[in-house]
Amino acid sequence: MWVQKTIAKCWRTAGFTRFLSSQSKVPQNPTWRIEPETEAQDSHVTPELIDHLERLALVDFRNQEGVQRLQSAVNFANQLHHVNTDGIEPLDSVLEDRALYIRGDEVTSGNCSEILLQKAKSVVEDYFVAPPGNIPLPQKENEYLSTKGEDI
Amino acid sequence: MLQVSCGGCALLLGPSVRSSQLCYVGRGWRTASTACKHARDTGSLPWEGVVGLEVHAQINSASKLFSSSQVKFAAPPNSTVSFFDASLPGTLPTLNKRCIEAAVMTGLALNCAINKKSLFDRKHYFYADLPAGYQITQQRLPIAVNGLLTYRYPTGKKWSDMVTKCVRIKQIQLEQDSGKSLHDDFMRQTLIDLNRAEGQLRVDANISVHHPGEPYGVRTEVKNINSARFLARAIDYEIKRQTDILNNGGIVQNETRAFDYKLGATIPMRDKEGKQDYRFMPEPNLPPLILYDSKTLPRNIDAGQVINIDLIKEMLPELPNITRERLVEEYGILPEHSFVLVNEDGLKEYFEAVVKMTTADPKKIIGWVIKNLLGYLRQENLTIKQSLITPSALAELVTLLENKVISSSAAQQVFQELCKGGNKTPTLIVKEKKLGLLDSEQLEGICQKIVDEHDEEVAAIRKGNLKVMNKLIGLVQKASKGRTDPALAKTILEKKLQL
Amino acid sequence: MLGMSLREAAAALRCGQLNPIELYQKCLSLIKETRFLNAYINVAEDVALRQATEAEKRFRQGKPLGELDGIPVAVKDNFSTANIETTCASQMLKGYIPPYNATVVQKLLDQGAVLMGKTNLDEFGMGSGSTDSIFGPVKNPWSYSKQYREKNSGSRTIADDDSDWVIAGGSSGGSAVAVSSGTCFVALGSDTGGSTRNPASHCGVVGLKPTYGLVSRHGLIPLVNSMDVPGILARCVDDVATVLGVLAGHDPLDSTTIQDPFQTFTLPDDIDVTNLCVGIPKEYHAPGLSTETLSLWSRTADLLEDAGAKVVEVSLPHTRYSIVCYHVLCTAEVASNMARFDGLEYGHRANVEDSTEAMYSATRREGFNDVVRGRILSGNFFLLKQNYEKYFLKAQKVRRLIADDFVKVFKSGVDVLLTPTTLGDAAPYEDFIQEDNRTRSAQEDVFTQCANMAGVPAITVPAGLSSRGLPLGLQFIGQAFREQQLLSVAKWFEKQMNFCPLDFYKHLENRDICQRKSNIASLL
Repeated sequence: MWVQKTIAKCWRTAGFTRFLSSQSKVPQNPTWRIEPETEAQDSHVTPELIDHLERLALVDFRNQEGVQRLQSAVNFANQLHHVNTDGIEPLDSVLEDRALYIRGDEVTSGNCSEILLQKAKSVVEDYFVAPPGNIPLPQKENEYLSTKGEDI
Repeated sequence: MLQVSCGGCALLLGPSVRSSQLCYVGRGWRTASTACKHARDTGSLPWEGVVGLEVHAQINSASKLFSSSQVKFAAPPNSTVSFFDASLPGTLPTLNKRCIEAAVMTGLALNCAINKKSLFDRKHYFYADLPAGYQITQQRLPIAVNGLLTYRYPTGKKWSDMVTKCVRIKQIQLEQDSGKSLHDDFMRQTLIDLNRAEGQLRVDANISVHHPGEPYGVRTEVKNINSARFLARAIDYEIKRQTDILNNGGIVQNETRAFDYKLGATIPMRDKEGKQDYRFMPEPNLPPLILYDSKTLPRNIDAGQVINIDLIKEMLPELPNITRERLVEEYGILPEHSFVLVNEDGLKEYFEAVVKMTTADPKKIIGWVIKNLLGYLRQENLTIKQSLITPSALAELVTLLENKVISSSAAQQVFQELCKGGNKTPTLIVKEKKLGLLDSEQLEGICQKIVDEHDEEVAAIRKGNLKVMNKLIGLVQKASKGRTDPALAKTILEKKLQL
Repeated sequence: MLGMSLREAAAALRCGQLNPIELYQKCLSLIKETRFLNAYINVAEDVALRQATEAEKRFRQGKPLGELDGIPVAVKDNFSTANIETTCASQMLKGYIPPYNATVVQKLLDQGAVLMGKTNLDEFGMGSGSTDSIFGPVKNPWSYSKQYREKNSGSRTIADDDSDWVIAGGSSGGSAVAVSSGTCFVALGSDTGGSTRNPASHCGVVGLKPTYGLVSRHGLIPLVNSMDVPGILARCVDDVATVLGVLAGHDPLDSTTIQDPFQTFTLPDDIDVTNLCVGIPKEYHAPGLSTETLSLWSRTADLLEDAGAKVVEVSLPHTRYSIVCYHVLCTAEVASNMARFDGLEYGHRANVEDSTEAMYSATRREGFNDVVRGRILSGNFFLLKQNYEKYFLKAQKVRRLIADDFVKVFKSGVDVLLTPTTLGDAAPYEDFIQEDNRTRSAQEDVFTQCANMAGVPAITVPAGLSSRGLPLGLQFIGQAFREQQLLSVAKWFEKQMNFCPLDFYKHLENRDICQRKSNIASLL
C-alpha cells in the first residue's frame, strides 16, 4: 500500500475517518478522455514540406523519421481545433496588462570584444568569421524524399 | 508609400535607425517620363509607376535600442557590442526610452496616429550578421501609423513652378539593426562586425507599374539604396525596365534587386527570397509598450517609466513646411527663398538674427544671405557655423547701406573685405578704405568735371535723349570709386544741365 | 546533514557547530559517492572551495553575508555562470563558458552561497525525464533507497546489477537529485511546463515554480520565454521561502520582471487553514492518473476539510487542451530561441566552410539532438505564414481561455487549487524510453504546464510513497504574486505529511552526517 506508517499516523491525527473518500471532492473517475490523434486532410506532411522547413530552419533529418515526427506533432496540435475560440483575443504575454520596463539611455555595456571573440571558434583580427555568404544550400540528394530513406 | 523603420531611429530628415532604428512605410507615385513616352509610341494606355519606400534611419541616441552598449560611428569592430548584441544565450532585450521618444516625435512630425499600445515581433532569417537568427521589429502593431507628409516639388527649371505633393506614411516602427558583413571573396570568408551603427539612411524601394485604375502590377524590391540620388535613379530605371518588359509582352518577376550605381542599373540579387518566410512571432521578452498622454497618465508611477505623448508634442520643433510658410508671411520673402533658408542647416537662424539686428527690409536682407553669404560659403566650402562673417557684421553692413552711408557697390567691397576675415567691423572698413558716400560739395566738383569733359553726351541729353544721363551717372560713380549715391548724382547733374 | 534543512544548516553555521569548509567537504564527498546518479554535469570543486573559504573567513569575523552564507547550492546547467562551463546538456554548448552570471545565480553568490556545481538536465530543458542529455541520463536516488529496495526485494524486477533504476523526472532532474540525495541544500531548476515540479515530485523534494515575472530570467538559457521561470528545489517549504526571498524582485535586465517591490516573508509554524478555500479542479482527474495518486489526492482534500478548510470542486474546462496548446507554443518559441545557435559567435561549430548556410546547417545537425531538432522543425511549421493563424494564433487564443479559467476560479473565492503533480510515480528508465519524448512530455506535464500557461505560481510537496516505495507529490496552484499564501498552505500540508526523506540502502560513507543532523537539530 502507498500509505506509509508515518503518514497513516497523521491521517489519524487529522481525524480521518472516511472510507476511501466516498464523499471526496475529488472526482473518482477521469473527467475526460484522450482522443485518438487523427490526421486532418489539409495537414498532411509531405517530404517537400520537410525540405522547405529544413531549409528555413537549417536543421535536417534527411529521413522518413522526420516526416513521421512532424506529422505526429501536427496531428497532436490539430486537437486545438476542437476548441471554440470565436471572439477570443490571442494571449502573447501573461504580463499584457503591466507596463513594459523602460531603460534610460545610458551606456553601461560594450567594450568587451576580447571576451566575446574568445568564445568564437574563428576570428580574424577583431571580426567574427563566417564562411562565404549568399550561397544557397545545395539541393540534396532526393532519395529520401520519395522512399523511406535512411539516416545519412 | 513610405515606411520608416527606426532601428537606431531616425527620420526622413535625420540620421537613420538601425541598431535602434525607425522604419517608415509610405506609398507614392512616380510617373517616369520615359515610360509615358514609350506608352504613347505604342499607342497603348500609359503606364504609371507605383513606389513604396522603406526608409531605415538611425536614431540619435547614446545607447542602442535594446541594449546599453554605445551607438558610435566608425568604432573599432565589435567594440560597441554587448552580450545581448552578440546574442549570448540568456540575454534579454531592454527598451531604450530615448528611442521610444524619438519614434513618437517622428510620428508626430509626420502627422501619424500614435499607437498608445504597440507590440514587438521577431522576424526570422539566417544571416551571418544577424546573430540571434531573428530581428526584433514591430510588424503587427507599430508605434505610429497613417501619417502624411506634404511637400512642394519644383516641376520646371524656375523656382516658382512648384506643385504640392503628399506622401502617405503607412507606419513607423522601432526595429533592431543587423550587423555588418564584409565579404572577402579572395579569402572565401565573411568578416562580421556586430557594432551596428552605420549612421546612413538606407532605403528599400518596392516598385511596380500598372495602368491607372487597374490593379497594381507585380513588384520588385530594390534593396539597400543609400542616397536620394541613387534612389531616384533606381526607381526610374526599374519603371523603365518593367515597362519595357510589359510592352514586349513579358512578365515582371517578383524578386529582390540591387542598384549598381556604376552601371546605373538594378540587377537581380542572388537570394532565397522566392521561398523566404520570416515566420513572424510576438517577442515574448518585451510586454506591450504602453504610451500615455496627459489625460491617461497614471499617478504614482516612476517618471522614468512614462512616455507622455503630449509632452513630446510640446518639445516638437517647428516643422519645415510651417517654417517656410511663416518666413514668407513674416518677412515677405519669396517661397523659393524660404526653401533655401530651411534646407540649409542654420541659414534660417542666421537670416533671422540679421533681421533682428537691423531696421532694413528683410526683402533686401534675403539677397545678401542667399546670394552673397551662401555663395561665399559654397566657394570656401564652409558651413554656416564656420562663416567668418557674423550675423551682426552683415546686419551692420546692411544698415550702412540702408542709411545711405555707403553705396551698394561699396557695400560689395565691404563684403569682400569681410570675407577675408580679420576682426574689422564694416564701419571700420568703410572708414579705412574711405568707402563712405561723398557729400554734395565733393560730388558737385566731380559732376562739374564730368559735364565739362563730355560735351557730346551733354548735348545729347539737352536734345532730349535722357538715357544718356545714366552714362554720366556711371562716369561720376567711376570717378568717385563707387562712393556716390546715384540719386544724388542725378539731381546734381540735372541741376548743372539746367533740365 | 543528509536531510538537514537549509535553515538548520544556517543555524549550525552561525553557532559554530559547523563551518563552511567542513560543510563543503561533506557535500563534495557525497557528490563523489553519488556520482553514479549523474546529477552533476560539472562539479565546481575549486571555485566552491574558494567560496567556502571566504565564507569561513566571514563567519570567523562574525560578518556573514546573508542567510545563504556558506550554504552549498547547485544550479541547473541552463543558467549562465561566469567562468563555469554552461552546456544545457547539449553538444551545441559543450565548452561554452559564459562571461556573466544569471541574475539568480548572482543573487545566490551575493548571499555567500557556495556553488557546488551545475546539474544535469534534458538537452536545453526539452524533456520530462532528464534522460535526453549528452552526459547521459540522471538516475533517481530513490532507486537506491531502502524504501524502494525493501518494497521490491521480493520482486524479480529488482536486481542488484543497477539495471532497474527509475527516472528522476525532468527536465531539472539533476537539481532534484542533488537536493534529494543530500549533496546540496537548495538547487535552482527552471520550470517551463513543469520542469522543476516534475522531478521534485519524483525525487521527493519540494519544488516551486514562482509567478511569471517575479524572478529574473536574465541568464537563464531559454526554452519558452513566455513561460520559463527559475524554479527552486529544496527539502522543505521554509527553505523554498528563504530562497525565494533572495531571488525575487525586479531586474532591469529582464523586462518581464515586475517593478513592484517584493516583500520577503517567513512562514509561521502554526498555520491556520480554517479560512482557506481550496479548489479541486475536476479536470485534473485525467486519464492515466494512478489509483495511488488519486487516493492521495482525495485523502488530502479530506484532510484539509477536516482541518476546517473549505474544499470545493471547481472546473478549469480547458485543461485538457492545455498540453496541446503548450506543445504548439513551446515548439514555436523553441524554433525561434534555438535560431541563435549557429556556431558563429560561440558554441559548437561544424568543420564546414562551403558557405555560411552550409556551416550553420551542419553545426545545428551536429549540435542538437533529435528531440531539439524535431521541436525546431515543428515550431517552424506552426509559424509558417500559411499555418500561423491556424496553429500559433489558435494556440494563443486557447492559452487565453486557459488563463481565464484560472482567473475565474480564483475570482470565485478559491485561494489555492490542490491537484496531483504527476500521473503516478517515476517510471523505470527502460519503460520510460519506450515512448518518444513528445508523448512522454505530454503525459508527464499534463498537470504542471497549465500553471505556466497562466503564469501563476505552483508548488509540489512530497506527500507519500507509492506501493513501489517511490515518492509521490501533490501540487498546490496559487494566485499570481500570492506566493506567501501558497507557501503557507504548502507548509501546513508538509507538516501533516511528515514525509520521510530518502535513505540509501547501501551504506554510504557519509551516513554519519545523518547522525550529526539529529545532534544539531536537538540544539535548535
